[in-house]
Amino acid sequence: MPEKPLAGSRLSRRTWLAAVLILVVIPATIVFGIVVLDDRKYYFISLLIVLYTMIPFALVFEKRKPQARELIVIAVLAAIAVAGRSAFFMLPQFKPVVAIVIIAGVSFGAEAGFLVGATAGFVSNFFFGQGPWTPWQMFCFGIIGFLAGILFQKGLLKKTKLSLCVFGGLSTFFVYGGIINAGSVTMFSSEFSWKTLAASYVSGFWFDIVHASATVLFLFVLARPMLEKLDRIKTKYGLIEPGGK
Amino acid sequence: METYRIEDVVFAFPEKEKEALSHISLTIKSGEFITICGKSGCGKSTLLRQLKSILTPHGKRSGKIYFCGQPIEEVDQRTQASEIGFVLQNPDNQIVTDKVWHELAFGLESLGCDSATIRLRVAEMASFFGIHTWFRKNVSELSGGQKQLLNLASIMAMHPSVLILDEPTSQLDPIAASDFLETVKKINRELGTTIIMTEHRLEEIIPITDRLIVMDEGAIIAEGLPEHVGAALNRMKHPMFLSMPTPMQIHAGVSSGLPSPVTVKDGRQWLNAYMSGKTPVAIDIIEDSPKQASAPVIQFKDVWFKHDRNGPDVIKDLTFTVEAGQFYCLVGGNGTGKTTTLSLMSGILQPYRGKILIGGKNPLKMNVKELFTNNVGILPQNPQTLFVKKTVRLDLYEMLSQTALTKEEKASMIDEMVAFAELDHLLDIHPYDLSGGEQQRAALAKVLLLEPRVLLLDEPTKGLDGFFKEKLARFLQKLNASGVTIVMVSHDVEFCAKYGEICSMFFDGSMITTNTAIRFFAGNSFYTTAANRMARHIWSDGVTIEGVIERCQKSR
Amino acid sequence: MKDRFSSFHPIVNFVYFAAVLLFGMVFMHPILQTASLASALLYSIMLNGKKAVTFNVLYMLPLLLVTAVLNPLFNHAGVTILFYLKNGNPITLESIAYGVSAACMFVTVIIWFSCYNAVMTSDKFIYLFGKIMPALSLIFSMVLRFVPRYIAQLKVISNAQKCIGRDVSQGSILARARNGMTILSIMTTWALENAIETADSMKSRGYGLPGRTSFSLFRFDNRDKLVFLLMLGLIAVILTGAVLGENTMRFFPSIKVPDKSLLSFTVYMAYLGLGLLPVIINVLEEVKWKRIESRM
Repeated sequence: MPEKPLAGSRLSRRTWLAAVLILVVIPATIVFGIVVLDDRKYYFISLLIVLYTMIPFALVFEKRKPQARELIVIAVLAAIAVAGRSAFFMLPQFKPVVAIVIIAGVSFGAEAGFLVGATAGFVSNFFFGQGPWTPWQMFCFGIIGFLAGILFQKGLLKKTKLSLCVFGGLSTFFVYGGIINAGSVTMFSSEFSWKTLAASYVSGFWFDIVHASATVLFLFVLARPMLEKLDRIKTKYGLIEPGGK
Repeated sequence: METYRIEDVVFAFPEKEKEALSHISLTIKSGEFITICGKSGCGKSTLLRQLKSILTPHGKRSGKIYFCGQPIEEVDQRTQASEIGFVLQNPDNQIVTDKVWHELAFGLESLGCDSATIRLRVAEMASFFGIHTWFRKNVSELSGGQKQLLNLASIMAMHPSVLILDEPTSQLDPIAASDFLETVKKINRELGTTIIMTEHRLEEIIPITDRLIVMDEGAIIAEGLPEHVGAALNRMKHPMFLSMPTPMQIHAGVSSGLPSPVTVKDGRQWLNAYMSGKTPVAIDIIEDSPKQASAPVIQFKDVWFKHDRNGPDVIKDLTFTVEAGQFYCLVGGNGTGKTTTLSLMSGILQPYRGKILIGGKNPLKMNVKELFTNNVGILPQNPQTLFVKKTVRLDLYEMLSQTALTKEEKASMIDEMVAFAELDHLLDIHPYDLSGGEQQRAALAKVLLLEPRVLLLDEPTKGLDGFFKEKLARFLQKLNASGVTIVMVSHDVEFCAKYGEICSMFFDGSMITTNTAIRFFAGNSFYTTAANRMARHIWSDGVTIEGVIERCQKSR
Repeated sequence: MKDRFSSFHPIVNFVYFAAVLLFGMVFMHPILQTASLASALLYSIMLNGKKAVTFNVLYMLPLLLVTAVLNPLFNHAGVTILFYLKNGNPITLESIAYGVSAACMFVTVIIWFSCYNAVMTSDKFIYLFGKIMPALSLIFSMVLRFVPRYIAQLKVISNAQKCIGRDVSQGSILARARNGMTILSIMTTWALENAIETADSMKSRGYGLPGRTSFSLFRFDNRDKLVFLLMLGLIAVILTGAVLGENTMRFFPSIKVPDKSLLSFTVYMAYLGLGLLPVIINVLEEVKWKRIESRM
């Protein structure tokens, strides 16, 4: 069956698309921003770039006509993340979303990890309110799921508590915190400077620490049972098993 | 014209020796209404799933299945999707999208219909099923009955020629269930759609069934007109006979030489014919001598409750007492406050006026340990909400993880419980792989490990077939005999009449009547058992099947 | 008051919000910004009533002030120096003006989003993206269906666990945290196991067959066409202004606002018209109703 080559071409198509975006469209956007918008609209430009990075995932996913069970697994995991986010709504930054996204990435691969993260980020804002932060959140959650999947595939991330917790803590603090804080600078002040960026990191420090420790705690308790459950579902019902019926 | 021809089908699940289906042969004519019954695990769902390729589980099959004369494997997926409609058990699980109208259109979108066609079909279906009033709602706002109706409608929108339903009413309350079955009947009669359905609620479905098929151990053991199947089961002394409609069972218990009735109406006429020229005998209700004035275990004194400050009162001035050792049933329609009362007993909710005492104490003032260890145990409506671990054994041990018992004590407690609940062959299975009845027993075992003196049950018979109900009843009676007080909320009138000691009728937030089970049902004329409805014009106190049979036999 | 603009076709709604949000983020010009902020405020109050007023006063006003003050502290460009800070950094008129302008922009965008949230409900969004991204929009729809269901189920599980003494409201902090995670874990199993039937139901109704279409209740009628064209016209005028440099001003090194002309006046009017479009529609509808009612 032509499953393997399909997977190969899928990867290359995304790489190709990503290459076009990175080499052509993103520089073009920046040039457009500098020339036309007088180099002042950081939020606008960064927003476009964030959106570009998500497009290849969406296009590739649509292109390969995913099966019902793939949609279901992604939807269920994203919904659990959103429900989890609202279940802990009274504790600011104490959210299980990143933990669930990482588990999804490890269990179902980088693409599923990205989609679960981005979907959770997007749909949760239907309940909490959309705003200029939505694309940033989508991107951050998505990219953490993507990283988890890639690192697991490369053998750098293991299914052990320690490995997952370390990755969870670091990725929440540096990837999520790092990007969101930079994003909020572009949102709040149209003037970009290293000082404002530094100020934003300082003011966000404790939030990020809480968020990261929440992720670590959730992964510490949930990672093993959740991964077991997902494995059970995969074997019992042959979910996400390309081509099979 | 035939819809299905099944020839000598044998099916086995992977890595299983035993055949799930053995040598099934069956022909189903277009427009027929077929009901398949049998106790859980007899293979009825497996058989239904053979009838649509995409739902067929993995496994080895031999034999042939023809759909409209064509082998089912050769019928392309598009035709199967539209021609063969399949309704599953759980109303919630089948709904995919978040809006009612989108759900209705889902199948048609898959088939690739254009907007104009979808618009028309969706409109037609919404009108046929009376959905137009909640057409634009979110799915989450619907009741269970509405959800199942929506599932049915969204399948009918694809205009299938055959409709397969797998226990579609097992999760519905009685009123929603009859509405649903009524709609299925309408589809069969007005549209001529072939219906193949499995069902536990035979009482209502048999009168509209053309052909009844009984399965056991993967094989068909009886088939034909319901009356004939009933008679055949009776001859075989098969336990499935206990699931047949009440009039049939009473008829079989009395030798009359008259044809068997199926509905309560037929039953009344049959009884009149049988009794003509005889004088009805009166049998005194032998009630267990009232247990020596036992201590009250649960007391409600002028209790009022509402969910939020400006909301309507859900419980209104409720006063009653449950005494130690009683088997107390709370019956009544949906939304009358039965389940709320149960939650009040367990301290999940608190009244805004009045007093609740459990064993003489206020449940809200007791700490968790005091309230739920050796005191009150609750079996939730959905037993799945209690399972945490990946095997039944681990789940039982989890229950004792917070106690200070030694390993040996734990093991002996669990062994005892496993023996009591008959779980020994299920210990290493994932709780979600158990059948409904088995899940119920495992959950019950979990709750009983806390050694409750009062057991609260919320709709324990929901979704169970007659066989498992019987089994559950035996457990409850055993517990009751050992001194555990049981309070049960139920829609299942037959079950309460047969096993309950005291019954209370809920209406509009409080109790209307309370009495011993027989007197309670004898006093109702509508909300009562089928046996009573059939015989109450002669014996108002004939409540159970056995009771009516006895009276018939003794009348000369 | 019921919002009439929401009843227009999702494309009309979406293009409107895309335009006002985009323009709101890009144009830094006192008149245009005031127009945008005023229309956003007006529309948000029309949509959300009292809630919007409290939101705007309680959160947006302080946000505006804080952001406006923060900028000059970090930014010392500009030629008109007003005074020096203790650390020797100058505070300039230009940076204050820029701070106010940037703060205004940010607050305007947030208020526009609050309107967006009220008008662009999930089904409209799913409809719009159902055409280009059918699988993802179906996932969104499923998540929107699952989330309320899961939240309800969390409650049910939590009650069941409470009855065996394992709820988040019971025991020590550590026990509570553990119980909370157990509840989430039970929910996960329940969700995954039940989802299999959902997948069956999708397959059974032909999901995955080639040539899937996307249906919706929305129709693009003449009323939509009219408003859409009007909107495109206004957008065209505004874009012309942008190309000709009418829509932005210079802050650094010194403040310079583009000269006023007939063209700039037209652009201002078009911008105000675009911003107030939903408000105007609402008012016209209201007037029409009043007239009909008075005749009856």
